[in-house]
Amino acid sequence: MKVATESRLAPAHAAEIVREYGPFPGAAKIAGVTHDGHNVWAATPEALLAIDPASGETRRRIAQACDAGTAFDGKYLYQIAEARISKIDAATGAVVATIPAPGQGKDSGLAWAEGSLWVGQYRDRKIHQIDPETGKILRTIETNRFVTGVTWVDGELWHGTWEGDESEIRRIDPQDGTVLERLQMPPGTGVSGLESDGAGLFYAGGGESGKLRAIRRPTSRSKS
Amino acid sequence: MDSLIAASARALAAGDALGALKRVALRDDPPALALRGIAMAQLGEHGRARELLRRAARGFGTHEERARARCVVAEAEVALAMRDLGGSPRTLAAAAATLEAHADPANALQARLIAARRLLLLGRLADAASALEQVDARGLPPALAAVAGLARAELAMRSLRIVDAQAALQQAQSAATQAGVPALLAEVEEAQAVLLRPAASRLAGGKVHLLRLEEVAALQASGALVIDGCRHGVRAGAAWKPLARRPVLFALARVLAESWPGDADRNVLIADAFRTKRPDETHRARLRVEIGRLRTLLADLADIEATARGFVLRPHEAREVVVVAPPIAGEQASLLALLADGAAWSTSGLALALGTSQRTVQRALAELEEAGRVRSLGQARARRWLAAPLAGFATNLLLPAALPAG
Repeated sequence: MKVATESRLAPAHAAEIVREYGPFPGAAKIAGVTHDGHNVWAATPEALLAIDPASGETRRRIAQACDAGTAFDGKYLYQIAEARISKIDAATGAVVATIPAPGQGKDSGLAWAEGSLWVGQYRDRKIHQIDPETGKILRTIETNRFVTGVTWVDGELWHGTWEGDESEIRRIDPQDGTVLERLQMPPGTGVSGLESDGAGLFYAGGGESGKLRAIRRPTSRSKS
Repeated sequence: MDSLIAASARALAAGDALGALKRVALRDDPPALALRGIAMAQLGEHGRARELLRRAARGFGTHEERARARCVVAEAEVALAMRDLGGSPRTLAAAAATLEAHADPANALQARLIAARRLLLLGRLADAASALEQVDARGLPPALAAVAGLARAELAMRSLRIVDAQAALQQAQSAATQAGVPALLAEVEEAQAVLLRPAASRLAGGKVHLLRLEEVAALQASGALVIDGCRHGVRAGAAWKPLARRPVLFALARVLAESWPGDADRNVLIADAFRTKRPDETHRARLRVEIGRLRTLLADLADIEATARGFVLRPHEAREVVVVAPPIAGEQASLLALLADGAAWSTSGLALALGTSQRTVQRALAELEEAGRVRSLGQARARRWLAAPLAGFATNLLLPAALPAG
C-alpha cells in the first residue's frame, strides 16, 4: 500500500517525444535499446541495429537473436535472448561470453552501470543488479509496475513500464524502489527498452510498433 | 514482454509451434499460457488449446484488456475449428469492440470475421450476410482477406448469386496468393471446383441434362417458370414460391410441369401427389381442392386450367416451363439438394419436403454425416441439419497475436 501511495504522489508530466525513428525494414519490433556514445543500438528480433541518431540511418547490423534488453559497457554489447545474456564484442559482432539471465527468461530491460548489469524482470516487477561475469544476483529492487527497460544516468535509476495501454518512464530510488518521478507516454505508446544518451535524451523502443523514440530527459533545472 | 515470451513468439511466427511450446512449457503466467494455447491449436490439440487460452484470458490484469481480448478471439477461432458453436456471440463482439478501442484493427476484424463464419455454420445466412457487410476487406491482412472472400463466396453460392461468388473467390485467390498460405489456396481451389460440378439436372423431352451451379442460376434468371426439385419450390425471375412445407402442392406442380405444354392426366396427378394407385371419388374431390390451392399460390406466375383429361399449366408471359431435379436420383441426393440452401433444417422439415418418413430421412442423414457431407447442431428435438460448407473454411487457424503488447 505504501508503494501505491508514493506512486500517486510522485510528480508526473507528459513525456516530450522529440523524434521518432523507424520502423526499420525487416524489424517487426524493438526489444531493447542502448547507446554507445555515437549510435543508438536497437535490438530487433533478428539483429542488433546501430542507428545514427542524426540521420536515422542504420549504420551497422549484427545478426543476433534479440528477445529483450540491450546494454553497452564501453566495449561490449550485452543482449538478452531466451534465458541468457550474451556478451558481444561491438567491434567484431562475436559473442565472447554467455551468462544465465537472472529471471530465467522472464527478463526484459538491461542496463550497464558501475560495473554491474541491471536486469528488469518484466511481470515480476523487479530489477536485479547482477555480476556481469557470473550472472550472480547481487541485489534486487522491487517496483510496482511491469519493468520493460532500465537505464542509469547521472546516478539516477530510470525504468520503463508498460501495462496495457499505459506506459511511463519512471525514476525510482535505487535503495527502496520508491517512485520519484514519472514521464507519461501518450496512450497506446509503449516503452520496450530504455537508454539515455548521457545528455538530454532518452531513447525508447516502441515494441510492436517497431519505432524508436527520442524523449527529452528532465534536467535538474527543470525539476524545480 | 519478457525474453522467453519474445523467443517463443519468434518461433511461432516462423511456424515452429513445438519450439514455441518448448520455451514456455513450464510457465503459467498469462502471456505464456496464451502462447502455449496458440501453439497447441496449431498442433491440432484444440481442446487443450481452448483451456489454455481461457486460463490466459482470466489471468491478464485489468490494465491488460487488449491481451485478454486477443485471447478471447483466439479461443473463439479454436471453437469454430472444433465446430463448437455453443459459445456466446456477445463475448466475441465485446472483444472486437475492445480491440478496436485499443488500436488493434486487424484483430478486431478477425473477431468480426469469426462471428460471421459462425453464423454461416449455424445456417443463419441473413445474419451472416449483415455481419460480413461490416467486415472491410481493405483493412485486412491478406490471410484474413482470403478467409473473408471465402465466406462471402460461400454465402453467394448458397443463394445462387454466381457472379458474386466468382468475384469473391477471385478476391480470395489473390489474397491467398499474397499471403502465401498454401492451405488457403487449396480451399479457394476447392470452392472454385464446386462451381464446376453438376449441381442439378434438367428434365426435358425425357432427357436429362446436367447443370452447373452457374447454369442453374442462368436458368432462374431467364424468366422461365422453374419447378425446382432441388430446393422444392417454383421460381420465375425474382419470384420464389417455396413449397418445401407443402409436398402435395409441389408434387402436383411437378407433374403439371413435366406434362407441359400438354395436360396432365387426373389419375397420374392423384397417383403422384397422394401416392395411391386406386383413385376414387374422394381423391378426385381432394385433387380439385389441392389444385385450387396451387392455382391461388401461382396466380401471378401461371394459370392452371381444367381439361377433359385433367389439368394444364399455362404460364403467363409465354414463359417456358422447366423442371430441375437433383443431379442424381435417390434420397441422399434429394437431402443434399435441399440442404444446399445453407439453412438449418429439422429432420421433420426434411421428411415433409421429401414426402417420406422421418425414419428414412434419419437413416440417410446418418450415412451422409458419416461421410462428412452434412452436419448437425443441437440435440433431440432441437436438432438441426446443415450441409457441410462448400468452401471448407474454418479449418485454417489464423490466430491473432495473442500477446501482451511489449
